[in-house]
Amino acid sequence: MKHFSLKQGLSALLLAGTAITAAPALAQDSDTLVIARSMDVNSLDPSRAFCDTCQFYLTAVYETLVTLDADNKTLVPNLAASWEVNDDFTEFTFTLKDATFADGSPVEASDVVWTFERLKNLKGSPSFLMDGLTGAEAVDAKTVKFTVEAPNAEFLNKVSAPYAGIINAEVAEANGATAGEDAAEADKSEPWFLANSAGSGPFTLASYAPEAELRLAKNDAYWGTAPAFSEVVVTQIQDAVSQAQALETGQVDIAMQIDPDTARSIRSGDVTTEIVPSFNFVYIGFIPGAKGMEEVLTPEVRQALALAIDYDGMLDFTVGGNGAKQAAPIPNGFPGTSGLTPREQDLEKAKEMLAAAGAEGLKLTAGYPNDNIYGVDFNIMMQKVQQDFAAVGVELELKPLTWAVWRDELGAGEWPVTAVYYAPDYYGSGQYIAYFAMIEGFPWVGRASVGKPELVVNPAEAELYAKALATAGADSEAAYTALGEEMMKDAIILPLVSPNLVLAYRNDIEGVRYSACCNLPLAEITRK
Amino acid sequence: MLAYILRRLMMIPFLLLGVASVSFLLSQMTKGDPLAALVPERMMSNPDIVNAVKAQWGLDQPLPVRYVIYLGNLVQGDLGTSFSTRRPVATDIAERLPATLELVVAAMVIGTVMGLALGLLSARFRGTLFDSVARIFALIGSSLPIFWSGLILLYLLSVRISFVPGTGRLPPRVTAPPDVTGFYTVDALIAGNVPLFLQALSHLALPAFVLGWAVTGVITRLVRSSLIEGLSLDYARTARAKGAPERTVLVKHALPNAMIPLLTILGFTFAYLITGAVLTEAIFSWPGIGSYAVRAAASLDYPAIGGVTIVGSVAFLLANLLTDIAYAWANPRIKVH
Repeated sequence: MKHFSLKQGLSALLLAGTAITAAPALAQDSDTLVIARSMDVNSLDPSRAFCDTCQFYLTAVYETLVTLDADNKTLVPNLAASWEVNDDFTEFTFTLKDATFADGSPVEASDVVWTFERLKNLKGSPSFLMDGLTGAEAVDAKTVKFTVEAPNAEFLNKVSAPYAGIINAEVAEANGATAGEDAAEADKSEPWFLANSAGSGPFTLASYAPEAELRLAKNDAYWGTAPAFSEVVVTQIQDAVSQAQALETGQVDIAMQIDPDTARSIRSGDVTTEIVPSFNFVYIGFIPGAKGMEEVLTPEVRQALALAIDYDGMLDFTVGGNGAKQAAPIPNGFPGTSGLTPREQDLEKAKEMLAAAGAEGLKLTAGYPNDNIYGVDFNIMMQKVQQDFAAVGVELELKPLTWAVWRDELGAGEWPVTAVYYAPDYYGSGQYIAYFAMIEGFPWVGRASVGKPELVVNPAEAELYAKALATAGADSEAAYTALGEEMMKDAIILPLVSPNLVLAYRNDIEGVRYSACCNLPLAEITRK
Repeated sequence: MLAYILRRLMMIPFLLLGVASVSFLLSQMTKGDPLAALVPERMMSNPDIVNAVKAQWGLDQPLPVRYVIYLGNLVQGDLGTSFSTRRPVATDIAERLPATLELVVAAMVIGTVMGLALGLLSARFRGTLFDSVARIFALIGSSLPIFWSGLILLYLLSVRISFVPGTGRLPPRVTAPPDVTGFYTVDALIAGNVPLFLQALSHLALPAFVLGWAVTGVITRLVRSSLIEGLSLDYARTARAKGAPERTVLVKHALPNAMIPLLTILGFTFAYLITGAVLTEAIFSWPGIGSYAVRAAASLDYPAIGGVTIVGSVAFLLANLLTDIAYAWANPRIKVH
């Protein structure tokens, strides 16, 4: 008898198995927008956060004084109705709209002053946006004036960055925030911002579970045009293939990190994929200050190595042609880039220059993060660099590392070649100069020279940068073009590819676009 | 017996203190930038930010001071704050551990039931077609890498034929049941929400099966070989001589003798899976402790590494204790002292 009961038990199990396979909940007509993404959140406090996920979260929940239009070029009013700039770009006066925070209180000049002072004093990752800020003054409840120590024509662009979103000072202070000069130590509000929000944007934070789910709820008291969805859920799905599957089955409405290859594998007719240029780029960097490289990695040798790279092949090899070449470390489409021409491979000249420099039979090591960024597999990219260098007789040893070890070895100058990436914080070329230019004290001088700035500093660049920030329009663009050319001459940073971006969403979703400041503006998205 | 269990339980805090110390010192000695999770790559060359962060997180203190502070907090039950999530490690673990436990318990049930059934049947019908099929099924389960079987089954059963829903613990549009046990299936039932229970169960089914299949393989082979060995021993012959049917010999005589190795394997598999179900968690976007552990290790998130190590150690210590107790239950000749 036992034998039979076992059989019956098994059939019962099978039956139970079929009973639980309920049909998946489908997207149609849902008032909830679901987005698949591998989240990289490091904070949800606008003044501390610094990540791609943060950009679109902050844009949905906090609002900046000005923002970037859909053309990814023009600054348009947001919380500020209008603004005035003095002739030497040192004073910026904003007149605020009659906006309200989610708790119903008005957005006032004092909130703006408080937010910017806190952003500066917290010494957080986005604090650089307030570099040079010397004065912040609430002229009246609706007028606010900022003063910077040196001309900075890019200040307006900087305050369009999502990290400069205006915070409800009263609410934040009641929960441990402070804007004082001791904010870096005294501000205890970070945990509060992980579970609450205090902005004036179309959405508020509903809940956040790290590396699992970020839920936004519609701000019912929103002062502007109400968003189409009552809820937005960002759900953690790690890799591109799984994101595509979730999109095909209707489990999610938008998948944010699908690469062009994966996009091609989507068979469902219910999914739209659009491939658009991005402002992100991946680059290799030379470190002449690395151990034993001072006399080896001279400007001539760096130029020769730059000429050895097959840039067209790199584009095919890394992103299957879905991207663009980029001349200088300023993304295509940003001010000053239209006058720059990307490098071309020239093996003969490269060999000649290496021979002239006595650098034949050169052996180099490249240490780089073992990662896949914006659809570019760094291992594949570096294998291509290795092949190209081999064609001019330079042997490149590859050393993929975890981020933590890479950072450690970079600081110690363990190897002369590396690879990294960059995504913009706002629309403006100044951020790239402030990061990549060979100007004393700037980050990449430190990295490339490992404590010997004289190896790499280019005196022409400081002057050009000051000029770019003290002028507007064509003059400023010309200065950025000249800076781009100088940085190409430095041959410290070699941009390899600006990968295209895939916008992938269900057919019933409208209004998905890529923004240079804000990534994905959630409030613009609707369901047909 | 009770005194024995109490004595074993009382040793746990001391063992944990040792484990925590070793894990703290090892992770501090690991090569890598300790600020990897605290300061973004772009800002790591900015001395203002680096110094502010070091001061804020106490990383400007010498190692012995940090060690004493860490142990002091630990004794008071404070696991510290994660560098990555910026929340108390205890909160993170309390949020993620139930997800893993639910998955692992379900996988262990599936694995044990299937493994026992297949092991018994293939021992009973050894040499037949059934035996071969069962052994191949078990072999595939224990040798196929989960990232492959998981991805393929997910693609076939979810994307192609919509037999099971996609990844995650619940559809993204659905909100979780009120937290009681942290097991969504159980909490949904407590809340009296049967549709939610079915949704949670259907989301659990495939990852639990994939993980359980791997367990099945191990258990089937173990049960089968112990039973076949048992069936050739004297006590089996005696039982047969008494006229007992083969089924009785198998279930009443051979099976109890196979229990000891089985319990050992079950105990350790369970403890291992608490932190070892990483691949299943990654493929099925299951927000569990395994993926948390991997992320913590890769980014040198010391407090989180310490927290996960303690959870893993507790799992092993408890599994070990429960296995020992179960020995005494399975074989009354074993006395615990």
